Amino acid sequence: MLELLAQTALNATYAASYIALVAVGLVLIFGVMGVINFAHGELFMLGAYAVVALYADLQLNFMMAVMVGLAFVGCVGLLMERALFRPLRDNPLGGLVASIGFLLILQALVVMGFGVRMEHIPPVTQEVIAFSDRVRFPLSRLYVVVAAVVLLTALWLFLKRTRFGWALRASAQDPEAAALQGISINQTARIAMFIGAGLAGVAGALTAPLVSVNPLMGHSVIVTAFIVIIVGGIGSLEGAVVAAVAYAFVHTIVTTFYDGVIADIVGLSLMLLVLIVKPHGLFGTAERA
Amino acid sequence: MLLEVKGASVAYNKVVAMRQVSMQVPEGGIVTIIGANGAGKTSTLRAISGLVRLFAGEIHFGGRRIDGLPPEKIVAAGIAHVPEGRRVFPQMTVEENLRTGAFLRRDRQEIETDLEKVFARFPRLKERRRQLASTMSGGEQQMLAIGRALMAKPRLLLLDEPSMGLAPVIVEEIARIIKEIAAGGVPVILVEQNAELALSLADYAYVLETGNLALEGRASELHENEHVRRAYLGI
Repeated sequence: MLELLAQTALNATYAASYIALVAVGLVLIFGVMGVINFAHGELFMLGAYAVVALYADLQLNFMMAVMVGLAFVGCVGLLMERALFRPLRDNPLGGLVASIGFLLILQALVVMGFGVRMEHIPPVTQEVIAFSDRVRFPLSRLYVVVAAVVLLTALWLFLKRTRFGWALRASAQDPEAAALQGISINQTARIAMFIGAGLAGVAGALTAPLVSVNPLMGHSVIVTAFIVIIVGGIGSLEGAVVAAVAYAFVHTIVTTFYDGVIADIVGLSLMLLVLIVKPHGLFGTAERA
Repeated sequence: MLLEVKGASVAYNKVVAMRQVSMQVPEGGIVTIIGANGAGKTSTLRAISGLVRLFAGEIHFGGRRIDGLPPEKIVAAGIAHVPEGRRVFPQMTVEENLRTGAFLRRDRQEIETDLEKVFARFPRLKERRRQLASTMSGGEQQMLAIGRALMAKPRLLLLDEPSMGLAPVIVEEIARIIKEIAAGGVPVILVEQNAELALSLADYAYVLETGNLALEGRASELHENEHVRRAYLGI
């Protein structure tokens, strides 16, 4: 029993890592731009396909493929900012609808390029860290955890210590007051979009060898990310991380002891419960003006 | 003239908020804009700092045309705007708020000097430098908003309703600070509903009524003006 719990905790830690990467990116984009990016799951999917193309097909080094995936999906984010969200800046609902349209385009493009079949990606490493006979953690999962911790720490330092990080936080708290300090809204929007999209892309790239990669894989990710940011409090980066960890543990434990469908139901019920008790989420303060 | 507004007009969703307004701000002193709610005072400031676009007219600052520029370019030109309702960054500390005011500056040494100057002017801010802005009182937030604007090292300071919602003793303190800032060489445009306060501080005044410039003149003269006394001073 203890071993089963330990194994479940390890699995949950892995799940929490990539969910946190996706959710934090989503929160960052919402915070700075006030737009809900429905295509965020598809950015995750694009990251996974970057690994399919570069690592599985072109046989490049895996880390290299992940880096390119991050940069590529970040650039897709820049494109979305310029082509969709900037023209619709005064119209948050328009931004949301445009992002839904864009996610369909991305899915179609990937189907045209790769087909609808599930992609097979050769494992990066077969090595397993064995804590005991029944508590085992594949090294490839540890990579995801380490990458998530490193990236989220880097993001934290960026937001707290750098000039542009401050600009991002200021824009998220009050875009107009930020503009009056000389902070360019276009610039903070670009930075937020690049980082947010890049984090989704890197999460997709890192997990690609561990999950089933297909053009529709973004769907379940975006649902999870939404639950996480609502529970954490929309607009709170810390909340997104804490809620990602909490959700991943609950979901993994329920999946282990019952099954995945029940786990989804439990996850959604928890979200409803949080909304009833704390409508702004666990870490939310107030809604954005 | 440091700032010249020439026939400026602003509309929100086709509702005209300010019609053919012209005003001039000299290199020193305090100019005030008074008027009732919705007279176009805030719109005038928002037009100057680039938050709204003119549909007619021009704005020149330091001999350069600035209407149509994005807000960050206007800040870079030297105009700092303390918006209505203070608008400090609630989830940032006092010190972070102040440093954000210096966002466009690269002179690190002088930023530190100016930070100390702001702390000297507002000792309360120094005591609370690590506190989140949202936890401060209205008066303290107003001081923080003014301090943040000063951190930009402006050539012109726009103040929108600095006395709003503050206790009389705090209003007095803010008034003293506005005078000090102007005396220190930074000209101020002061928008106020409290006309008595505004006319007592300012050198020159403009009166806006439903988006039109109704009157202008030396503040001391307008203070004695029959119409102003009846409509704005309640005498």
